[in-house]
Amino acid sequence: MLDLYLFQLLNGLGLGMIYFLIAVGLTIIFGLLNFVNFAHGAFFLLGAYLCYTAVALTGNFWLALLIAPLAVAALAWVVERLLIKRIYHLPHTFQILVTLGIALIIQEASVLIWGPVGKHIAVPPELRGVLIVGDFIYPYYRLFLIGFAALIGVGLWLLLERTRFGALVRAGSESTETVSLLGTNIFRLFSLTFALGVGLAGVAGVLFAPLRGAQPFVGPEILGIAFVVVVIGGMGSFGGALVGGLLVGVVQSMMTSLWSQGASLMIYGAMAAVILVRPYGLFGRA
Amino acid sequence: MSDYLLETRNLQLAYGPFHAVNGVDLKVRTGTIHTVIGPNGAGKTSLFHCLTGERQATAGKILFNGQDIIRKPSHGRVALGMARSFQLTSLFQNLSVRENLRLAAQGRDGLGALNFWRSVEHKRSHWDTADRVLERLKLNGRAETLAGELSHGQQRVLEVGMSICASPTLLMLDEPTSGMGIDDIPLMTDLISDLGRDHTVLLIEHNMSIVMSISQRITVMSHGQILVEGTPDQVRNDERVRTVYLGEAA
Amino acid sequence: MTDKNPLAVAKGHGHALLLLLIVSLIGLPLILPSATLATEILIFGLAALACNLLLGYTGLLSFGQGIFFGAGAYGAALLMIHLHWGMLGALVGAALFGALLALLVGALAIRRKGIYFVMLTLAFSQMAYFLAYTLSGWTGGDNGLLDVPRPNIEIAGHVLVDLADPRHFYAFVALLFLLIFAGALRVIRSPFGSTLMAIRENETRAAAIGYDIRHFKILVFMLSGAITGIAGALYAMLLHFAPLSNIDLMMSENILIMTIVGGTGSLFGSLLGAGAIVMLGDVLSELWPRWLMLLGVILILVVVFMRGGLWGGLADLVKRLQPSRALDAKTKETL
Repeated sequence: MLDLYLFQLLNGLGLGMIYFLIAVGLTIIFGLLNFVNFAHGAFFLLGAYLCYTAVALTGNFWLALLIAPLAVAALAWVVERLLIKRIYHLPHTFQILVTLGIALIIQEASVLIWGPVGKHIAVPPELRGVLIVGDFIYPYYRLFLIGFAALIGVGLWLLLERTRFGALVRAGSESTETVSLLGTNIFRLFSLTFALGVGLAGVAGVLFAPLRGAQPFVGPEILGIAFVVVVIGGMGSFGGALVGGLLVGVVQSMMTSLWSQGASLMIYGAMAAVILVRPYGLFGRA
Repeated sequence: MSDYLLETRNLQLAYGPFHAVNGVDLKVRTGTIHTVIGPNGAGKTSLFHCLTGERQATAGKILFNGQDIIRKPSHGRVALGMARSFQLTSLFQNLSVRENLRLAAQGRDGLGALNFWRSVEHKRSHWDTADRVLERLKLNGRAETLAGELSHGQQRVLEVGMSICASPTLLMLDEPTSGMGIDDIPLMTDLISDLGRDHTVLLIEHNMSIVMSISQRITVMSHGQILVEGTPDQVRNDERVRTVYLGEAA
Repeated sequence: MTDKNPLAVAKGHGHALLLLLIVSLIGLPLILPSATLATEILIFGLAALACNLLLGYTGLLSFGQGIFFGAGAYGAALLMIHLHWGMLGALVGAALFGALLALLVGALAIRRKGIYFVMLTLAFSQMAYFLAYTLSGWTGGDNGLLDVPRPNIEIAGHVLVDLADPRHFYAFVALLFLLIFAGALRVIRSPFGSTLMAIRENETRAAAIGYDIRHFKILVFMLSGAITGIAGALYAMLLHFAPLSNIDLMMSENILIMTIVGGTGSLFGSLLGAGAIVMLGDVLSELWPRWLMLLGVILILVVVFMRGGLWGGLADLVKRLQPSRALDAKTKETL
C-alpha cells in the first residue's frame, strides 16, 4: 500500500517536472515580454508530434529529444518575427486572441499532418525495463524523466542567473528601457526569449510523448494546467513555476485513481483562490 | 457651518517606515483658490491622493463640510460635492467631447446611473450641463470631436472641465498646466481663475510663478509636512521657502 | 443645432438597424438550405451579442460565457424533463439561472483586472466543466443530457404554435432575437450603457467622476449571463440534446471568436459573426474537417488588421464609397 503511494508520488513528481518545463517557458515569456501566450499548449503538442516523426525517421529517441525542441523553438522564432512582435504593444486581450488563433492553426495543422488519432511513441530501448528495489518497482523512463527535466531546470537557472543573456532577460523584465540603454538589440532579445520559452514547451512535449503518446487535442488542457501552475507560483517567477508544477503534478497523480475530475476541480479552484487572495502567487513579487 | 470647506487633521500616509504625508493640518477656506506647492517629493501628490480617495490615508482626519470622509472611496466623494482632475490627461479618448462632459455630469447620479431601461435622452439636464460647460471651456466647436483627437492644450482644458460637470463645491486640480506648452498656460490660468468664482479650488502645482497670480492662499510643503502657509506675498517673501527651493536647485 | 444632435442621429440609426435586422431575420431562412441552420445562427448570435456587452462595451474578456450557455441548456432541460415546465417557463428559468451564475462569477472575477480577470474566468469555466462532468446524475456527464423536449406554446392545453416544425421554431427564435436585440440596443443607449463605455475607455476616470464600477460590471455580467442562458436553452431544444461540450472552454472560445469576427462594439456585428462562423462550419466541415485552421487565420487577421470585424469592414466600405462620390462631385465643380 505504501509502495503504491510512493509510486504515485514519483509519478506525480515526473508529471510535475513536465508541468514545470511548460510553465517556466510561459512565465519567462510573460516576465520579460509581458506577453500572454495562449499558443503555449499547442507548441507542446507540436513537440510531441515532431518527436514522433523524428523517431520514425531516425529510429533514435535521443536524436528526437535534440531535434524536436529545436524545431519548435525555430518555428516560434519565425512566428515571433512575422507576427508576435507586431502585437507586443497591444493590450493582453488582443495578445490572447491572436495566440488563440495560432493555437488553432497548429492544432488543426497537426491533425492534417498526423491524423486525428493519437500516435504512440516507444520508450527508447536503453530505458525500457524497471528498477526493482525490494517490493518496489518503478520504470526507468520515468526516473530518467525526472532527472532530465531537473537537469534542464538547473541549466535554465544557470542561464538566467549566471550569463549575460540571463542578466539582460532579468533586467528586461524590470524595465525594457534599461536594456535598450545598455546597447542591446532589444528585439533580438525578445525573439530569443520567446523561442527559448516555447522551446521549453517543446522539450516537455517530447518527454511526455513516450508516456501518453502524441494526442491532437491535448493543447488546451495543457495550456490550462500551465496557467494554473504559473498563477499558483506567481507570474514571472522561476521558483514558483517549479513548486507550482510539482504541487499540481503530485495532486493530480495522487487523485487520479480516486477522483480525477475532483483533481481538476481542485487545481482550478486553487488557481481561482490564489488570484483572489494572493494575486502575485506564492512566490511572485508584489 | 465652518468657514473651512476642507480640513485635514494630523493627516498621515505611510509606506512602511516612510511617511509621504506626515501630520498635515490643511484648511481650505470656502470660496478661495488655495494652492499647495512644494519641490519634488514634498508630498503634494501623496496629500492629493489622500484627499481624492485614491490612497487610503493611514491616520488622521479629512473633514469635508465638517464630515469625516477618510474612509470614503473615490466614487463616493463625488456625491458629496468633491471633484478632481488628473495630472496625466485621463479622458474617455474614443468618446466625443460632449459625451465626456455628459458622463461627468451623470456621475453625480450615483447608482441612479444603473438605469438600463431608459434612454440617455431622458435626462435633459445632463446634456444641458455638458453644453454649458462646453461653452465655458470654449470648446463648443469641437463638441462632436473625439476627445483623443483634440490638441494637447484642449485635452488639458477638457481634463479640468470634466471636474465641474457634477457641480461640485470643491475642485481639486492636480497640476493642471502639466505638460502644457508655454503659449497655452495663460489659457489655463484664466480658466482656473474663472472657475474660482463659482467653486472652492484646491490646486496642486509644481511651478511657483504660475500660482502667485491666481491663488488667494498658498501652502508650501516640504518633506511631507507643511512648511509655510500664507498669502502669495507672505510666501514669496518667506526665507524658509526660498531655502527649500534653492536647496532643490543646488 | 437640433439637426446635429447626435442622439437624434443615433435614434434614427437605431431604427435603421432594427429594420435591417427584420429584413435579415426574414431573409435568413430563405437563403439558407435549412431552417435549422438559420435557427442555429440566431442562437449563437444571441450568445455573441451577450458576449459583446462584456467585451465590446465594457472591455471585459470573459472565458466564462460557456458556463452560462451550458447552465442555460442544462437548467432549461432539467426544468422541462423533471418539472414538465413549458417553453416560456423553461426560458425564464434558463435566463435566471444564467444571471445567477453570472452574478457569482462576475462578483468574484471583477475583483481583479486585466490578465488576472481573464485567468479567473478561465478557472471558473474549467471548474464548471468538471463539475458538470462529475454531476452526471443531473447532466448525463460525458454522454450529455438526452431527450430534451421542445414544448409547444400552449394555453390551457390548447396548442397555439407547434414548434416541432423547424420553420415554426425558427420564427419563434427570430421573434425572441428581435426582442432581445431591441432590448440590448436600449440598454447600450441608457445611462447604464453609456457608463459601460466610459468604464471600457478609462476605468480610473469613471471612478473619479462618481461611478461605483463594481455595480456596473456585475449588472452587465448578469445581463450577459441571462441572454447567454436563453441561448443555451434554445440550443438544447434545437438539438433535443444538451452535450457536455456546451459548457466546455471551447464553447467560450467559439462565442468569443464569433463576437470578435463580427465586430466588437456592434450588436449587429455579433449576428454577422455568428452567421459567418456557423455557416462556414456547416459548409466546410463536410468538405474539409480541418476548417478550424481557417478560423485561426481569420481570428488573427481580424485582430491585427481589421479591429472592427465584419461590421467595421462593411462600415468602412460604405464610407469609402461615399466620399469617393463626394470627391467626384468636387472635381466636377472645379472643372
